[in-house]
This record gives sequence, C-alpha cells and structure tokens, in this order.
Amino acid sequence: MIQLLLFNVTNGLIIGAFYVLMAIGLSLILNLSNVINFAHGGFLVIGGYIAYTLEPYLGFWGALIASPFLTAIIGLAVERLLISRVYGRDPLYGLLLTFGLAFVFEDGTRIIWGAQGKPFTIPAFLSQSLSNEFFFITGYRLFMVAMVAVMIALLFLLLRFTRAGIRIRAGTLDLETVAVLGVNARALRSLNFAVGIFLAGLSGVLAGGQLGLEPTMGAGLLMPSFIAIIVGGVGSLVGTLVGGLLIGVASGITAVVLPPASEAIMYVLMAVVLLVRPRGLFGEEGMLT
Amino acid sequence: MNRPYHAAPLSRRTVLKAAAAAGLVQFTAPFVITARAADAIKVGMIDPFTGVYAAVAQNELIGAKFAAEQVNAKGGVLGRQIELLVEDSANDVGTGVEKARKLIERDGIQFLIGDVNSAIALAIAQVSNEKKVLHIVSGGHTDGITGKDCHWNVYRVCNTTKMEANSVAELLFNKYGKKWHFITPDYAFGHTLQEAAAADLKKYGGTVTGNELTPLGTTDFSAYLIKARAANPDVLLVLPQGNDMVNCLKQIAQFGIEKQIHVAGLQQELESLEAMPPEARVGIWMFEWYWKQPDVPGVDQFVADIRKRSGGKVPTARTWFGYTSLMSFALVANREKTLDGVKLAKALGDFELPADVKLQPNKCYYRKGDHQLMTSAFVGQALKQGKSDPEDLFQVDAIVAGDKTSPPESETGCTLQWPA
Repeated sequence: MIQLLLFNVTNGLIIGAFYVLMAIGLSLILNLSNVINFAHGGFLVIGGYIAYTLEPYLGFWGALIASPFLTAIIGLAVERLLISRVYGRDPLYGLLLTFGLAFVFEDGTRIIWGAQGKPFTIPAFLSQSLSNEFFFITGYRLFMVAMVAVMIALLFLLLRFTRAGIRIRAGTLDLETVAVLGVNARALRSLNFAVGIFLAGLSGVLAGGQLGLEPTMGAGLLMPSFIAIIVGGVGSLVGTLVGGLLIGVASGITAVVLPPASEAIMYVLMAVVLLVRPRGLFGEEGMLT
Repeated sequence: MNRPYHAAPLSRRTVLKAAAAAGLVQFTAPFVITARAADAIKVGMIDPFTGVYAAVAQNELIGAKFAAEQVNAKGGVLGRQIELLVEDSANDVGTGVEKARKLIERDGIQFLIGDVNSAIALAIAQVSNEKKVLHIVSGGHTDGITGKDCHWNVYRVCNTTKMEANSVAELLFNKYGKKWHFITPDYAFGHTLQEAAAADLKKYGGTVTGNELTPLGTTDFSAYLIKARAANPDVLLVLPQGNDMVNCLKQIAQFGIEKQIHVAGLQQELESLEAMPPEARVGIWMFEWYWKQPDVPGVDQFVADIRKRSGGKVPTARTWFGYTSLMSFALVANREKTLDGVKLAKALGDFELPADVKLQPNKCYYRKGDHQLMTSAFVGQALKQGKSDPEDLFQVDAIVAGDKTSPPESETGCTLQWPA
C-alpha cells in the first residue's frame, strides 16, 4: 500500500508537470491580456499535428523544435487578426471569441487530418521503462518532465532578466502605466501571446508522443490547466506551477483510494481552495477583483 | 483606438465561469448532409460526428450512404428514392434527443438510424417509440437497448455487450488464465460489458482481482495501470473504446506491462488499431465484422466499392453497421410493400439478411423476441503490422454465430409492448 501510494505520488508529479506546461502558457496570456484563452487546447492540438506532419521529414527531434515555433507563428497571426480586437473590451468578448476559435480548431483539425486518431512515433529508446520495479517511469515521461523543467526555468529567466520579460511582469500589474511610460503595449501583448502559444505547441508535441493525436484531445487537457491556475492563484506563475503539480498528485493519490473520483478530486481541491483562500494559494489580493 | 487597456477588470467569477464552460468545448454545432429529391422517402441518421466517436460515426455514415446509393440505383423503396438526412448528436444525449425530434417532427422521416453512443441510442429510442417510427440502432452496444429497455419499434445491428463477452471469455480463460483485472469505462456501455465478462469468468471458476472505473475521456491511465499491475492478475482486460483505448494500450506498451501480464479485451475496432503505434497492437479481441473474408462471396466487392467512396480506406465493422441498418429497412419495406411502422417492425422479426448484405459465413437474422441481430463475432488477435495490406491488422481465428454468443431471448429481460 505504501509502495502503491509512493508510486502514485511520483506518477502524479509527472502528470502534474505536464499540466503545468499548458497552464503556464494559459496563465501568461490571462495575466497580461485579460483574455481567458479557450482556444489554448486547440493550439495544443495544432502543435501536435504539425509535429506529426513534419516528423517524416525532420524526425522526432526536428519536429519537436520546429512545431512549437510554427504554432507560435499561427498564434501570433490569430492574436493580431482576431484576439487583439477584444483587448480592453468586456472579458466576455474574448471568452466568446476564443470559445468559437476552439471549435474552429477542432473541426479544422478534423477536416485536414481526419477524425481518426493518428499514432505519433517517438524514438524507441525513449519509449521503454527505465527499470522493472519503477515500470511507470519511462524514458519519455522523464524526458517530458525535464523539458517542462527547462522551459519553466527559461521562462522565469526571461521574465526576470530580460527587458521584455520585466515589461511583461510590469504590464501584468498595470499595463496602462507601462504604456504611458513609452512601452509598446501592442507589441508586448503579441510577444507574450506568442510565448504562451509556443508553450501550448510544445505541450501538443509532448502529449502526442505520450497519448497519440486526436482532434478532441485539447479539450480534455484544457480543464486541468484551468484548475491549476485557479488553485495556484490567478496572476501568479509560481502559483500555476504549484497548482499543476498539486492537482496531479491529488488525482494520483485518489486513484489508489477511490479510482472513480480521481478526476473529481481536482474540482474538490479547487472548491476547497476557493472557500478557504479565494485568491488561490499564491494569488495576490486584489490582483483580479 | 482609444479603448482602455483593461476596460472591465476580469473578475475571479468570470474565470470560474469560464472554467465551468470549458467542459462544453466538446459539444460542437450540427451539420446536415442532404440530397433533396422530390417525393423521396426520408431516412434519418443521428450519430456523433463531432467528439470522441467521430471516426467510427463517419464510417457508419459511409456505409449508410453506400446503401442508399445501391437502393436508389435499383429503383428505390416502393418506387421512390431514398433521401438520407444526417444529424450530429455531438456525443451528447440532450442534443441527440433534440435532433431525433427535429428529424421526426419537422422533416417527417420514415425510418431512423443511430447512435454510436449507448446512452444517446437509449434516449433517442424513447423518442422514436413515442412517435412510432421504425428505428435501427446501428452502433450502441449496451444490453438494455434489446433488453430491459427494448421497444417494439427498435432493432439493433451491432452486438450486445453480453454477446461480445461470451464470444471471447472462454478463449481468454483457457488460453491466458483465471485471474482477471478490468479497466472499464465508467458509463452504461462499460458497466454492462464488464458485468457480462465477470459473470462468464465466475461461471468458469475464475476470480476478478479488480475493476478500475475510468471516466470517459481519460487521457492518462498510468495510475490505474500501477494498481492493476500491483494486483498481479493473469489477464488485464482493456474495455474502454475509441481514443481512451488507444491511450490505454499505448501506455501499457510503454510501461512494458504486456510482457508480464496478458493484455486483452472484448470489443476491438479497426479505427482504434490504426490509431495506435505497432507496439500497442497486442492481445486477443473480438471484431464485429472484418473486411478480410476470402471464402465469403460478396465481401471483396463490398470492400472495393467502399474503398472508392472513402479515399481508399477499407470498410470497418462500423461501415457494415451503417450499410446493414439502411439495407434492412429498404429490403423489408420492399418485401412488405408498405411504410407503416408497426407492420414493418412486425415483419423485421425473424427477417434474415441475404448473402450480399450479411457478408459473413453464418446465418444472420433479427430475433423476434428482443429485436437483436444475430450477427457473428470475429474472434482473433491484433497484429502489429498488416501482412498483405497496411489495414490488415487483425487475424481472425474463429467466426462465431450470433445465436451462439447471445443469451436466449428469455434471459434478455425484454418484453415488447406493441401498440394496440
């Protein structure tokens, strides 16, 4: 039983790490642009399918690098053409727009690549367990966790030590003042959106290797990311990080004790956090009213 | 462009509401395919063309469209052409019911086909029954449809979960061992499938080491697999369908579980095997129809005809379901020379499918007492690579007749209430 619990905590951390990667991108966009990006799952799916299309030419590693950039470019175009038009409006506009985009992406994927799932092959040496005892730790899952860790480290370095990163953080607190001080808010938001979508694209490639590709896969992965943000606290990237890991572990432990509730536990956790600490674990008071 | 940067602050409640609405993303808008013809007989089809069952639903449609094409080419039904009206249930019960009402009340269909999803099939059967429209459930497997929830107007082409379990259980027990562990999708279909297999296992004297209920749409099965392996069973039965099954088998292969425990299942489909990488295609399963039957006349022609209409893809069991559903209606209506729902429903009892429709070696007929099609189970093994064709991913070892896998009519719990 102890071993089973330990296995599931470790396993939960692995799953949680994946939620974090998706949630951080979502959180970046939400914090600076006040847009709840429902189409984030759609971008994830596009990232995965682009990698699937490129893999025969570039191999797995080439696709892993190229696909997130291409997804970010598509994201940038969508942001410039559509999302930028709802900035400054009532949040419901953005909600409706991205909600609609999510449908467009899902059906678009179905039209281009077909409704039937596609297998996405990963290098053979990654698709094996590292040991017989810890059979659930495969090379690929470790690689995923490592990728998440590297990406998050890079993102935090970007936000702390680069000019653009500092502006994004300042803009999160008060974009109007930042703009008055001479920063191009329009470019800042575009850059920030592209970084968020880059992370969604990368999540898509990683998820494709783990699960295979299917047009509806984004919707299922979007929900835990939202919960991670709410549990961690809107406005805090550290919160999103902790929130993602927390729901991964919580659902891992519940799978041992009460398997049918392993999904519901995320919502329970969210409800408890909202009751006890409505701003979320790391959310700042008054960040969002 | 003098809009403020943040016009209205985004409230926490908005974020929460948004999160709640996120669950709705899978329900997309409908689309309709129509081929209008004057004085046509309208046939309605409801299937989940969006959502997780989109691939199998699409194949049912290809089959139904081909059947309509064949019927119309031979003079139609009672001299009138068939017009197929297609609606998307979006894998949602409420949407399915709404579409069934629309097809019957507004479009005036004479005959209804659908749905892949068992829960939707059950719900729209209520509507077709209330409106007295002949209805064939093409691809929803839960037992109740031709069991305790049966209706005089409702027939079913695909197998019941009980038939599926009975076709494979004995083989699994004899070949793989007596301790079974289940991974079961947590809804109507999964529950009845698992119960049927567990009942068979008990009959043979085996034991169930555990049953992991997984929510529909589970992407990560690792927690359940950790539990299953810890229970040390002889056989791990994977019962989820569609993308869930693909995810589950893919993780089983990555974890190397199939090297320690026999991995198998009951219902398997070509759509799922094709979506998996080769290493995940393992185990003993049953197919409900298979496109490679060298000794059965008509099958090769059917495969060739479908390939012309599906971009080169072979027909799957789903294609055959759609085809057979519509063909059954056309054949019985032409034989009886009527479109009256009650008369047709009476006539379909004991109706035997002709060779060019059944496309299988055994006798294939609708049973009078529960309206279930006695169709064969194709029992065999998943193949990692196609031998002669990339889509030949299943090796059929036995084709078991439907009346051998199905429990007797007296045990289905079905009592048909005919209208006065």
